[in-house]
Amino acid sequence: MTRAWLAILAAVVLLPLVVRHAIATEIWIFAIFGLGLNLLLGYTGLLSFGQATFFGSAAYVGGYLLKHHGTHVLLALLIGVAVGAVSAAVVGYLCVQRSGLYFIMLTFALNQMFYFTAYQWTSVTGGEDGMPGIPRPPFLGLDLEGTLTYYGFVAAFFLLALALMQRVVESPLGTILRAIRENEVRAEAVGYDARRFKLLAFVLGGGFAGLAGVLYAMLFGIVPLEAIGFVFSGNVVFATLIGGSGSLWGPVIGAFVFIWLSESVSVIWQRWPLLLGVAFVIVVLFFRGGVVEAWDRLLAWRRRLGAA
Amino acid sequence: VSPSLLFSQVLNGVVTGMLYALMGIGLSIITGILNIPNFAHGALFALGAYMIFTVISIVGDFWVALVLAPVGVLVLGLVIEFAGIRPLYRAGHDYQLLLTFGLSLIITEGIIVVWGPIGMSQLPPPVLRGGVDLGLTIYPKYRLFVMVMAGLLVLGAWLFFEKTRYGAIMRAGIEDKEMVSLLGIDVHRLFTAAFGLGAYLAGIAGALTAPIRGLNPFMGVDMLGIAFVVVALGGLGNLPGAIVAGIILGLAQSLVALVWPEASVAVIFAVMAAVLLVRPQGLFGIR
Repeated sequence: MTRAWLAILAAVVLLPLVVRHAIATEIWIFAIFGLGLNLLLGYTGLLSFGQATFFGSAAYVGGYLLKHHGTHVLLALLIGVAVGAVSAAVVGYLCVQRSGLYFIMLTFALNQMFYFTAYQWTSVTGGEDGMPGIPRPPFLGLDLEGTLTYYGFVAAFFLLALALMQRVVESPLGTILRAIRENEVRAEAVGYDARRFKLLAFVLGGGFAGLAGVLYAMLFGIVPLEAIGFVFSGNVVFATLIGGSGSLWGPVIGAFVFIWLSESVSVIWQRWPLLLGVAFVIVVLFFRGGVVEAWDRLLAWRRRLGAA
Repeated sequence: VSPSLLFSQVLNGVVTGMLYALMGIGLSIITGILNIPNFAHGALFALGAYMIFTVISIVGDFWVALVLAPVGVLVLGLVIEFAGIRPLYRAGHDYQLLLTFGLSLIITEGIIVVWGPIGMSQLPPPVLRGGVDLGLTIYPKYRLFVMVMAGLLVLGAWLFFEKTRYGAIMRAGIEDKEMVSLLGIDVHRLFTAAFGLGAYLAGIAGALTAPIRGLNPFMGVDMLGIAFVVVALGGLGNLPGAIVAGIILGLAQSLVALVWPEASVAVIFAVMAAVLLVRPQGLFGIR
């Protein structure tokens, strides 16, 4: 564990030296987002395809407060966490009534409801144009408008979120959630109200998404409509799966790979979601077992070629 | 609101609702039999619309195109099932979801690459242009045609499911795949056929929609969420449920459009949320 933490700290220090500050910042924001999803996906076994609902809602509310009311940064972030948690409580309440495929479809459908609301409510959200002009007010005398300062600010929140999530998954609550993932009926039989714990996982995950949402709005100075759209929901699922949903560190690795790749590709070709789709299909069909299995397959394939 | 406007909005609601029902039935068949989340269902719908557009521009005949376009989507559906979904039967919903979501991105972006990002319009065939006087209002002929056509397709699907041997096998497949397999039926062929049938229904729904709503690359995504709602309310594999849910949603949308047009899409999801609050198992589900 401490080794992994040292690696993370080293990455936090070295990353802004290697990639552009904005990309480095986005990686940790996306990692916070992924940590929240992974509590559902990895630990509770709930495939939520609607995480952008909480991310986007918080980004809009936090962004609005910063822009129009000059709210203090910490307060805006705190409210963002609350918005993420509350919206997740509402969505989660409806979704945990059903399981399996129904559950997945409901998370997506409710995501669409929030999306269309944001799309039509142009006086607040700006609709398709997004909500621009979100400031980064100074924090404790630090000028957050500086890209490196803001990177440090976000990285600190990421480390805080990671430590918090570690506490959660290593606590008795984490054990209960894993028990629900492994066998819901058994967890119920032992006396745990599975639905209530699933809802709790939703609320916690929503809080993480909310924090990430407000940090994202401040990073780019705008809340684009996509922030609440289903593609964001899909991206965070994809990132978490390529990183490995089984562990605490998976979404962090996934965020790193995903943001770095998508930022590199999107400057080359405007239609990069096409390549993203191709990447999804290839990973799912050929690299499901992760990098290790992919390597074994490659060796087997070369051996077969040699034999023929 | 004048009675004639109200009447035509009710008709619009039924037309839209029938198209939603077609989408829901196709998705319900795929989801129910293959037990996968099909996030490509909306993209197949969009593809149906773009295919009819292109076939019309090549052949010049709407009716030929209406036959060919959905068949093209059907063929693509068969390929997707065989090459993409079959290796993932045992892989878990997360990977199945990523595959279909990836395919949906590929199809949507592919549409933009081939046909361009800007929306297009498609005229109905000459015979179906103009309106019919229904007394209270003059109503577009093409929409009446869509109502009848979608009704026939839904009826056809229902007859297929309830009255034919193959339909009975599909129903049995939704109930218990292992038992069907033990009875000596090739479930893999059943799965491919089910995906093809679902894709066909999505394709023809898209083809029928093109002259009403026009085409744009993201039309499928909007439809996908609605198809999910139809299935969530109507129940997996429940055809009458899908029809009732589809028409309720279509009517809700077109009637809300009269008083509060901005909310007309969001109301679909609000109806779903309201129903699920009262009946978490959907309209017809049994606990």
